[in-house]
Amino acid sequence: PITGKLTAPPYDPRFPNMNKTRMCWQNFVDYHRCVNKFGEEHKPCAWFQWVYKKICPNEWHERWQERVDDDAFAGRLK
Amino acid sequence: VLNVPGYSVWPLIGSIGAFLITSSSVFWWHNGFSWLFLVSFFVVLGTMFFWWRDIVNEGFLGNHTVSFNSYLQSGIILFILSEVVFFGSFFWGFFHMCWAPAEELGFCWPPYSFEEVIIDPFSVPLLNTIILLSSGVTVTACHFFILVSENNNNWFLGAVFWGVTIFLGVVFLFLQVEEYAESYLSFNSSVYGSAFFILTGFHGLHVTIGAIALSVVFFRFLTKSFSNFDHVGFEGAAWYWHFVDVVWLFLFIFVYWLGAPV
Repeated sequence: PITGKLTAPPYDPRFPNMNKTRMCWQNFVDYHRCVNKFGEEHKPCAWFQWVYKKICPNEWHERWQERVDDDAFAGRLK
Repeated sequence: VLNVPGYSVWPLIGSIGAFLITSSSVFWWHNGFSWLFLVSFFVVLGTMFFWWRDIVNEGFLGNHTVSFNSYLQSGIILFILSEVVFFGSFFWGFFHMCWAPAEELGFCWPPYSFEEVIIDPFSVPLLNTIILLSSGVTVTACHFFILVSENNNNWFLGAVFWGVTIFLGVVFLFLQVEEYAESYLSFNSSVYGSAFFILTGFHGLHVTIGAIALSVVFFRFLTKSFSNFDHVGFEGAAWYWHFVDVVWLFLFIFVYWLGAPV
């Protein structure tokens, strides 16, 4: 995890609306795709995790993580 | 002086029956089987039988002038309009789900990992489309032969096309039942399964109703109730059949074909 930062994830023009549900979901999915492709030690993957942990409600990414662990997540993570 | 038949008790009983059918269905879904549902179902069925028998008898008494028949036709058209908005509500729900898929589906439509269970639209559904479109043609041909026959002579071709129409409807229903039995998709396969089965299920029910209507009117035709200028019952059944065909076209295009890209 990136330490010492007190900032928020920057503006992502892919998700311009106030409703950031899709941005949360996309970063969660992109983190897992990154880790599946390049391994957990790959540093750039940590960016996606930082973004989704900052902007997603904890309930959401915890629920999705449970589903990923149960192989029941509704999204292509490979 | 308007030609208005006397008072009838059946509209009141019919509307009470329709209200009880819907509310007892909701009670059934929440609390288990409801005997009131069975009672109200037979009330509605009985209303259909007795009300329309009254209309047929009024016809034999001479009430069915050309201008009066237009009132009957307006009534039938209004009923078909109510069926249009009934299907419209389920189509609204379907489009709400498929044009903005939610997180639970994986933000995609069909929902994530559904590729193996959706039905290939260009196998049986395409055949069903051809069947229903052909039955629309045969029912129109039947109408033509009724219009050109005099005193129920040359009615034989009309009867043949009539039988073909009903036969095609039955074949359609048989194919749909086979599809339901063979499919891996089920009613609770996420919102996709629910939307699919409620739309196709109610459509199949309406095809059944239309086939029964055509059969009843066929029976009346064979027992010489119609002439070549007074056959409102047949026209109503034929319009209903065309409506069922149009609903199937919407189903085929938006639910089977465009709603399920493979």
